[in-house]
Amino acid sequence: MSEIDRRNFIKGAGALGLAGMSASIGQTVPRLARAASSATVPDVIRKTVASTGEKIPAVGLGSWITFNVGNDMVLRDQCASVVSAFFNAGGRMIDSSPMYGSAQEVIGYCLDKLGAHDRVFSTDKVWTSGDGAGQIAETAERWHTRNFDLLQVHNLVGINENLPLLFRMKDEGRLRYVGITTSHGRRTDDMIALMKNERLDFVQVTYNPVDRKVEEYLLPLAYDRGIAVIVNRPFRGGSLTQQLEGEPLPEFAADLKAESWAQLILKYLIAHPSVTCPIPATTNPAHAAENMRAATGVLPDDKMREQIAAVIGVLV
Amino acid sequence: MSEWWDYGLADFLLFSPRVYYRLFETMNSVWWIAVLAAFVAGLVAAGLAMRHGHRGNRVILVLLSLIWGWAGYGFLWQYYQPINWAVAYILPGFVIEAVLLAVFAARPLPLRFGWRGDLTSCVGAGLLVVAFVIYPFVGLIEGRDLIQAELFGSAADPTALGTLGFVLMARGTWRWLLLPVPLIWCVFASATLWVMDQQVAYVMFVAVWLTIFSGWLDLKNGVTTRRLTEAERATPASLSD
Ligand SMILES: NC(=O)c1ccc[n+]([C@@H]2O[C@H](COP(=O)([O-])OP(=O)(O)OC[C@H]3O[C@@H](n4cnc5c(N)ncnc54)[C@H](OP(=O)(O)O)[C@@H]3O)[C@@H](O)[C@H]2O)c1
Repeated sequence: MSEIDRRNFIKGAGALGLAGMSASIGQTVPRLARAASSATVPDVIRKTVASTGEKIPAVGLGSWITFNVGNDMVLRDQCASVVSAFFNAGGRMIDSSPMYGSAQEVIGYCLDKLGAHDRVFSTDKVWTSGDGAGQIAETAERWHTRNFDLLQVHNLVGINENLPLLFRMKDEGRLRYVGITTSHGRRTDDMIALMKNERLDFVQVTYNPVDRKVEEYLLPLAYDRGIAVIVNRPFRGGSLTQQLEGEPLPEFAADLKAESWAQLILKYLIAHPSVTCPIPATTNPAHAAENMRAATGVLPDDKMREQIAAVIGVLV
Repeated sequence: MSEWWDYGLADFLLFSPRVYYRLFETMNSVWWIAVLAAFVAGLVAAGLAMRHGHRGNRVILVLLSLIWGWAGYGFLWQYYQPINWAVAYILPGFVIEAVLLAVFAARPLPLRFGWRGDLTSCVGAGLLVVAFVIYPFVGLIEGRDLIQAELFGSAADPTALGTLGFVLMARGTWRWLLLPVPLIWCVFASATLWVMDQQVAYVMFVAVWLTIFSGWLDLKNGVTTRRLTEAERATPASLSD
């Protein structure tokens, strides 16, 4: 993997703010190199992880609640269908946490079943004020993997111990990227301080057309500092898509080739220059594919993004 | 430690109602003989408890002890814990309750169960009816299949509810020791069901308050602390408190 020239990246990315967006901000590449095993994987928009220059598909997959199905084999197989649909539609990043019950184990099951350990961009977290290293080892066991692409300090829990631990793992070559997460707009000040002072590769925050606070300071800062941004709760845990269900799409959705509210929301997110990858969770393979299709075709420009937020703001 | 204060109750809802109710479906299908046996054992215990007699008291306690052991292993350990890590912290409570019930069954002066016609008895009997008859089948009203029924003896919620009923129907010193575990479970279950938007959460919540209120009334009237006299032990009918 090539090392990034961070300064060039930032210069090249141009002025910050909501400068006109189009499909060009995310690059459509011919085919996912890592997913070469599937001949049917479509082209998707990919975003750059500034700290390395690596490009990853602009939509990922969350696992909170949806993948916590315990030992229920019927539901485990349904999860495997979701992961399969996700990969086949061009997805790579799957996010989980030790907080999510059996989700990590279920992801391990799905990857085994699909023989897809080499297709995933594995993203997990450390969530303890105690033995972080022990928890990470357990997490790896559950995923049936040895090393992760990205580990994040979940909700900044045990940050003083866990962040140095992750940096150490990265320095030793046992981890590719280090990140931190929050959600629901919590602990934003702490997160900002860490973004300013630590050499983070990723941050994960809540962002959607209704929860836009991060647009004010955090997203511009991430851009300036070359920190990739993962977006959690893109559909507000599903309440957004539920509230919008049955509402007709605005006319301009057709210009973006958005077939659903879910896609419109994801396009809104992906189009932000700071956003690397929203990670919607789903139990439905069709939704997984639909969400990935949001990372194809045209993205809204600044004006259209505002329109999307305005329309959704009125409806919910 | 401020990081832990950020969490709300909803942050700890780790699973969907669909996954939760499928736990009962799977358990009822795989372990149907044990589930049925535990339910019947519970019914026998309830039948004995409603009689105003002094025979069968130890049997009730032994059956309840076995039931708590089974609910702890059969449901909590095998099915619920994998989707809810918080259960691991409550699981030892089920072991403690099973042991306590066995100790109560073995001690020289066992508890005495029976209908006494006072408020505590009414609450106790009411809780038994809810646990055995109503709770398992509320799901039908909400459109769930019968196979997902939460039965007393295996599913933790009705087992805890019913046990509160049994204890309120009992007389004898130290019996309140049997209340904390089912009470804690009911609070935990009520919170879980509430964040899952399940109306049945209120049943658990009301049961907790009724039990505490009845227990407090008994305590106030000296029912809790007074040992049974020889005469009372010999003649159940003379029980007046
Ligand atoms: N602090 C943290 O680190 C943190 C906090 C929160 C979340 N996260 C991460 O972020 C991920 C996403 O957040 P989330 O799971 O809370 O909420 P979310 O992704 O905003 O919403 C998930 C819900 O959206 C629905 N959905 C998905 N695709 C859809 C579509 N195409 N059409 C209609 N509905 C759709 C799903 O229902 P169906 O199953 O019916 O599709 C699901 O119930 C989590 O899974 C987790 O990995 C991290």
